[in-house]
Amino acid sequence: MKIDTMIRHVKEAFRSLSRNRMMTLSAISAVAVTLFIFGIFIAVAMNIQFLAKELDKQMALRASISPTATNDDIERLQKEIGKDSEVKSVSFVSKEEGLRRMKEQWGDDSDDFFRGLEGEDNPLPHMLVIVPQNPQEIKALAEKIENNNKNYIDQVDFGGGVTDDLLSFSSWIRNIVLVLGIGLAILSAFLISNTIKLTIFARRREIEIMRLVGASNWFIRWPFFIEGAVIGILGAIVPVGLVLLIYYSLLNALGVESSYSFFQLLPMWPLSLYIAGITIALGVIIGVWGSLISVRRFLRV
Amino acid sequence: MIKMHDVWMVYKKGVEALRGINVEIEPGEFVYVVGPSGAGKSTFIKLMYREEKPTSGVILINGVNVNRMRDWKIPYLRRNIGVVFQDYKLLPHLTAYQNVAFAMESIEAPRRHIRRRVHEVLDLVGLYDRMHALPSQLSGGEQQRVSIARAMVNNPSLLICDEPTGNLDPENSWDIMYLLDEINSRGTTIVMATHDKEIVNTMRKRVIAIEQGVIVRDEEQGEYIYED
Repeated sequence: MKIDTMIRHVKEAFRSLSRNRMMTLSAISAVAVTLFIFGIFIAVAMNIQFLAKELDKQMALRASISPTATNDDIERLQKEIGKDSEVKSVSFVSKEEGLRRMKEQWGDDSDDFFRGLEGEDNPLPHMLVIVPQNPQEIKALAEKIENNNKNYIDQVDFGGGVTDDLLSFSSWIRNIVLVLGIGLAILSAFLISNTIKLTIFARRREIEIMRLVGASNWFIRWPFFIEGAVIGILGAIVPVGLVLLIYYSLLNALGVESSYSFFQLLPMWPLSLYIAGITIALGVIIGVWGSLISVRRFLRV
Repeated sequence: MIKMHDVWMVYKKGVEALRGINVEIEPGEFVYVVGPSGAGKSTFIKLMYREEKPTSGVILINGVNVNRMRDWKIPYLRRNIGVVFQDYKLLPHLTAYQNVAFAMESIEAPRRHIRRRVHEVLDLVGLYDRMHALPSQLSGGEQQRVSIARAMVNNPSLLICDEPTGNLDPENSWDIMYLLDEINSRGTTIVMATHDKEIVNTMRKRVIAIEQGVIVRDEEQGEYIYED
């Protein structure tokens, strides 16, 4: 298409948008409400995904080695488990190392508590930390290792269910938001199609003449598509800004970006880019969809 | 130019608007289509620019079967056909010049051609001096001439006129007829539906009379014999 023609289409689109200002505004607001909900959803969903992945990464089996096992036994055991194709890595954590890590986690205030537990009094067992290839299979792997090495291993611990719970919670939220969002999307597409309908009506004489003199169907359609897309884009601006602002304040309030807390959130960047990109794209899709509905019905082109 | 073979047009409610039309119109002809209201004149004319699709039969325009034509090709058919209506169908917010240019812009004609060609056709219809007037500032006859200029601006080989003088007084009607005759003499085929007895009987041309969906007369140098 020629640039001249495109410029004309864009001008036409903006002219009729400003001619039906009230309708345009209500369509934009409808899109904005829809996209606000979608924007929140995207932020939440991406964080849950991120969290699940982080948890998966940290997920490891902790096999407590029975006190009767010798150093040779432990070495052999570590090699054997490492050969399993379902195991990613095996590392040995001595009980002294285990105590030191625990102390670190609990912080400086706990010095008194740990003083009595050092040296011979250390109650912790030696451990093998086993990272599975596939975090989803962790439970089966735990059982297998425990059963195969009953002589040396007292107990195998795994993170147990946290990830599962998180994922099922997230899919539950996802379904609710999707149903709500799709309903709202249909409603906004309908409002947009009404707006476009008005502009088609206002331009029916032009359209009639364009068809008579042989304007191609796309030449007639383009301005309406642009109108729909513009409504979608304008409707996306406010919700994108609002969602990012809310997210930013949340990050600040929780201070999660700086701490080692369990509760880790995605940083502003590049999340903002995803939220803005996806939300604007959705706005355009809803807008074009809305205009498609009325153009098809009213133009017979 | 136009060939119709056994064309039937039956509307949904069972109304038979056309019942077996056979006709052939050669390039360069000037043809009146006459007949009482509701006889099928409008349908007959609308078939030629594919505004309507026949129930059955074959319609060839420039050798192309328009019944079988894909929808997306119709615009390209229409670029070769100009249409003029009784009510002019001008865009009220555009000047005479802009109304005519609109037809060229709609088919994405190169901008450098538009100005020259629009001046040319406005000169042809005698409105060069009035090109910046809005339709509301023009008389009925002038408005019709703008609409003829618009129909001619893309150089169609066929000009279809549906009651072009229906809203005009005799003097303006004759101005329009002289203009159409002039366009015809330059080679454009003209098909004109009309109720104007005086015109048909004075400016003698081929006359096709349609009554109750059938062509009842088709005469060179024909006559208008209805009293209405």
